[in-house]
Amino acid sequence: MPNALRFDRIRKELRGIFLTLCLVGLATALIELIVQQLGLTRGTVIYLIPVVIAATRWGLVSALVAAVCGVMAAAFFFFPPYYNFHIRDPQEVINLILFVFVAFVVSQLATRLKRQLELSRQREIDMRDLYAFSRRLAVAFDVSDIHAAIEDHLASVMQRKVVLFAGVREASASSGRRAGITVPEPVLAEVAEAASGHRDSTTGVTVIADNGDVWLVRAVSPRNLEFGVIAINFGRESPERTEELRLRVQAVLADATATLERLGVAHAISEARMRSQTDELREALIGSVSHELRTPLASILGAATVLSAAPALKNEKKLKALANDVRDEAERLNNDIQNLLDASRISSGGIKPRTEWAEPADIIDSAIERCRRRLSDRRLVLEVAADLPLVHGDPVLMQQALVQVLDNAVKYSAPGTQITVTARAPEGRLIVSVSDQGSGLTQAERGQIWERFARGARHAATTSGSGLGLWIANAFIAANGGTINAVSAGPDLGSTVTIELPVTQPAVPQMESDTDE
Amino acid sequence: MSDSSPVALIVDDEIQIRRFLRAGFELNNFIVHEAGTGTEAIRAATLRPVDLIIIDLGLPDMDGADVVERIRSWSSVPIIVLSVRAAEAEKVRLLELGADDYVVKPFGMAELMARVRVALRRQMRAASGEPTVKIGPLTIDLSARAVTLNGARLALTPKEYRLLQVLAQHAGNVVTHQQLLKEVWGTTHVRDTHYLRIFVRKLRQKIEPRPDSPRILVTELGIGYRLAQPGADHEAGINGAAAAAGQPQ
Repeated sequence: MPNALRFDRIRKELRGIFLTLCLVGLATALIELIVQQLGLTRGTVIYLIPVVIAATRWGLVSALVAAVCGVMAAAFFFFPPYYNFHIRDPQEVINLILFVFVAFVVSQLATRLKRQLELSRQREIDMRDLYAFSRRLAVAFDVSDIHAAIEDHLASVMQRKVVLFAGVREASASSGRRAGITVPEPVLAEVAEAASGHRDSTTGVTVIADNGDVWLVRAVSPRNLEFGVIAINFGRESPERTEELRLRVQAVLADATATLERLGVAHAISEARMRSQTDELREALIGSVSHELRTPLASILGAATVLSAAPALKNEKKLKALANDVRDEAERLNNDIQNLLDASRISSGGIKPRTEWAEPADIIDSAIERCRRRLSDRRLVLEVAADLPLVHGDPVLMQQALVQVLDNAVKYSAPGTQITVTARAPEGRLIVSVSDQGSGLTQAERGQIWERFARGARHAATTSGSGLGLWIANAFIAANGGTINAVSAGPDLGSTVTIELPVTQPAVPQMESDTDE
Repeated sequence: MSDSSPVALIVDDEIQIRRFLRAGFELNNFIVHEAGTGTEAIRAATLRPVDLIIIDLGLPDMDGADVVERIRSWSSVPIIVLSVRAAEAEKVRLLELGADDYVVKPFGMAELMARVRVALRRQMRAASGEPTVKIGPLTIDLSARAVTLNGARLALTPKEYRLLQVLAQHAGNVVTHQQLLKEVWGTTHVRDTHYLRIFVRKLRQKIEPRPDSPRILVTELGIGYRLAQPGADHEAGINGAAAAAGQPQ
């Protein structure tokens, strides 16, 4: 918008000239007053005041106007012949030269001062942004935090839309849309070039998109591609202005990368990337191995159930018992594999609750149903309050958590003992607890049981298990916004695991009238 | 329908799974056809009449859901899906595409047979136009719109009856939350599962002998509800299943 800019400047200049004229008028009135009242002659030096004021405030043009008008007013009003522009006194010529000289010097000084002030103010803002940036880096948790920090820093300093691409893969994968900013196709192509190091992107490349916007694409640091590649939308700008902005981006990025390098961020990024790749690999391995194990297991379990019901084995008690053993062990193996799969799903962040309004009694009921066989030689006592409020969450995850807790209660208690499941809803919460009369917990064990692969040393020899159960239960309950706790009076005094879930009331508009239509 | 024994089409890419399913079904007097891919399954289902299709979701050539949809476009044959756990969304999708039921892998033969029996019985009832559904002490007369418990007529509100009616029309099979909400409250309420929860609670108070441990109106967590079939609980042995499976002859 150069036209608008020019217009704006002219308006400012005119305003300066107008105010200058007012000042000259005031000065004339003042001199008139002095000459008339005090009888002093030659007060015309007062015309210097408008010249100085105009020079400092409104620039050279206004100052020159002030100088010329001042001399002219002096000639007109105060030098004979009065009320005439004729100049007879050489004093007036000297005045004019003096005024013009003052106008030049003062306006130059004022402009320089103003520019310096602006620069130092800009510098101050930059420093403040840079400081905020390094503070954000200091608390950055992972690579994406660092990238977001770079992106935000640049966006706030430049006041432009900025998109950061972490690498080649991301440039091609993100379908041109990030954080509400649409990046046009040609810009993306340039980003991919820059990210793969094919461009010497010290200065960056400008791309003009179809809609006329100018984009600058460059590596955050030309020396270190780990920091990624940025694309900045300058908007519609003239080539000169674009160049100005480009230099500014360069300056800002130089500061930013200096900070990044000082903090050793590049090293940290590559290390984090390597570590996360290792983690990913491990989880993928667990995932695929478990899946591969489960497929033959389905055949084993299915075949065992067919065998145990086969007419040929009807009178063969021992063989039938064997077939049942195969079935039971296959089922146990299946549970262990399921735990491994769940664990890898949890650590890869793959838990996505499918929330709905769920009936707590149904969740408890189906968890007990799933543990029916395991619970068969325990005395099960159910104390479920009537009219429990509905909970908003993923009922399947909650049920699986409860199954793990029940399974644990069975595992660490003797046959014939009692297991109590209670459910109640004190204000705003749903509390489900499972109490057993089993081996309880020591103080040390209480702190450990929620850890992954936690196995109490007291039981490692006598009971089997992967130590994943309660860790999984904890993760599933947390995914539903709840908490899980364990209390125990001490070793061999039983323990109680309590699941606590938040309860919010569903909006039920006109439910009652629906009933009796 | 076949002349003597019901025909089951087993669709799974794992030969070991097909083998034990074949043995299990043959022990229960079924004639078994096998298919290893979705394409084969569709061809087998069109070539010969089948009474039942058991289909695995993970087929090598096409999505199991597509197979279900294709077969449903011309046939109302009972379809039971084999799926893995933690795939609730997938199960819901398949049930809504027209699958009758699902069984989670790994599973026992008795469990599968119980589901098979329910699906076949429903098919038979639909064919014969039998208007009453009986589950233990509960009788639902769909033509007279009357519900009795131990012979005594129950007073249900219109919405409660509608809910029970939809479930009874699919007796023994799962009806998803979305299907129920759509049928009873209309399409604008398909996300309002709490409506369903509250009405199921009321209904259970009236029809269940012990409402706190329901055995007639059963919850399928994260999926929907099913009306239990008489004698169809999962502990039922294969012999019971065989008797039922023999019925559609």
